Amino acid sequence: MLRILLINDTVKKVGKLKQALLEAGFEVIDESGLTIDLPARVQSAKPDVILIDSDSPGRDVMEQVCLFSRDLPHPIALFTDEQDPGIMRQAIQSGVSAYIVEGVESSRLKAILDVAMVRFESDQKLRAELHAREQQLSERKRVEKAKGLLMKMKSCDESEAHTLMRRQAMSRQQKLVQVAEQIIAMHEMLGE
Amino acid sequence: MKQNDSPRGDTLAWINGSDAPEKHILNLGFMPLTDSASLIVAATQGFSQPYGLTLNLRRQQSWSALRDGLLNGELDAAQGLYGLAYSIQLGLGSAPTPMAVLMGLNQNGQSINLSQAMLESGVNSSQALIAQAKHKSRKLCLAHTFPTGTHAMWLYYWLAAHGIHPLKDVDTRVVPPSLMVEHLRAGRIDGFCAGEPWGAHAIQSGMGFTLATSQSVWPDHPEKVLCATQRFVEQYPNTARALIMSILDASRFIEESEDNRCSTAQLISGADYVNAPLTSLQPRMLGNYVDGCDHDWHDAHPLRFHGNGEVNMPYLSDGLWFMTQFRRWGLLREDPDYFAVAKQVQQVDLYKQAANALGISLPTSMLRSSTLMDGKIWDGTNPTAYAHSFDLHAIADPRATRQAN
Repeated sequence: MLRILLINDTVKKVGKLKQALLEAGFEVIDESGLTIDLPARVQSAKPDVILIDSDSPGRDVMEQVCLFSRDLPHPIALFTDEQDPGIMRQAIQSGVSAYIVEGVESSRLKAILDVAMVRFESDQKLRAELHAREQQLSERKRVEKAKGLLMKMKSCDESEAHTLMRRQAMSRQQKLVQVAEQIIAMHEMLGE
Repeated sequence: MKQNDSPRGDTLAWINGSDAPEKHILNLGFMPLTDSASLIVAATQGFSQPYGLTLNLRRQQSWSALRDGLLNGELDAAQGLYGLAYSIQLGLGSAPTPMAVLMGLNQNGQSINLSQAMLESGVNSSQALIAQAKHKSRKLCLAHTFPTGTHAMWLYYWLAAHGIHPLKDVDTRVVPPSLMVEHLRAGRIDGFCAGEPWGAHAIQSGMGFTLATSQSVWPDHPEKVLCATQRFVEQYPNTARALIMSILDASRFIEESEDNRCSTAQLISGADYVNAPLTSLQPRMLGNYVDGCDHDWHDAHPLRFHGNGEVNMPYLSDGLWFMTQFRRWGLLREDPDYFAVAKQVQQVDLYKQAANALGISLPTSMLRSSTLMDGKIWDGTNPTAYAHSFDLHAIADPRATRQAN
């Protein structure tokens, strides 16, 4: 059974969504307002999904979601009456996995939350891939830079410099990029 | 050296073109063994970035844990035993799942070792072991690393070549390679067959001695492979090819010079990798053997990772051989369609593309011929006849045995 952290930021629908969730068979941990320390609450409650019920998600809501998604990514579903496409876009960009406008019958809740979770997973995967690509590229650049410096210092060709760096890294049980950083740092210290 | 640079101009094409890897981050399983060197070097020394891959090394506690990781998707690819890939393919010990052998990772470098207690009781040679094994007062207990693994097959082959039936005359156990020395110390086993550095480490720890090397069973035998599920290869063919290229590059680099071999030994002895003393790991990696009873030699067929590509080609005959031994020891109740299975598992086409792109030479035949310790020739041409040609075996089906005679 899914554990849901329900954050209520609305007055008029109090209890309605919670009731629907309970009817659909979810375990609901109740919270009202967004004044709580969201990361701490999530760490203690360990929900599968975070559900935010908000009339009109303002800047405060979005800011919390945005920071939170970066540091402690979780699937987040936002239930709201707000139909402004700008706010919708902002919400999705902040890391909301599902943006649901207006009321929902309890029979549809499970499907909505399942989709939110799948979407969250694929987002996380894409983010990780992107991060890895960026890291690959920056590591390659650092290695190339260090190799260039070493070629000048040792008056050797590219392949020899590459091998020297690798041997140094391996004999110290380090990664190649670590040795590249050391060469660059040393060069910066000694200057031209 | 120069050869190493030639593919660099083309590598961007691999990243940006239609051959770009479909998946960029791979979890790569490995066991704490000297045999893992090319994977560790590839992952840590910048061999995969030019192909657009990041390799995350994932050390495994046992071969069965590694198998489970491959099957449940936690591992994208892994160092594997030939026998592990084929046992999954054929459904021995787990539900059958189509498997892929992408390339060979190394040849040679395993050993059969006996305990110090055995040595002290006078069992210091093959002849003495035969006498001990035939003396049925107490069955010897010998360990290998996986029920269908290469070490079981080397051990069985060696015992049988000396007239000892591995399934009747001795007891066998499965123990993860890095725990062998502890099992010797505790007196739970009389000996073991495993990859290095654990044989050398047993000697260094005063716990045992080396009776035979695996290369004395079969010079230049196939050993570890790079494997994945067939599903992985079908889903991410470019990633699989890029992975082969990264590891081929690293294998070539390791064997480029003695210095490279030595620094490789230093790297992999680290706590995150093999986690064993350099003094246990390095000598045998360089082919320098001491056996723990006053013999030392430089081996003619030491552990090797590349051999100008001879090591890395996923020969059909290498895959076939393990199936013949499964059949011989009754793990397979019937003869499989040997060639059909081997052609499905051995990723010859993918390997050829990778080797071509790196300018690594390819053999003309997918079969290679070898003479094993008992003088029998294995050339892959008739696996069924070969499987049924041994005096000692456990082929249950009497009809099959008669046919072979």
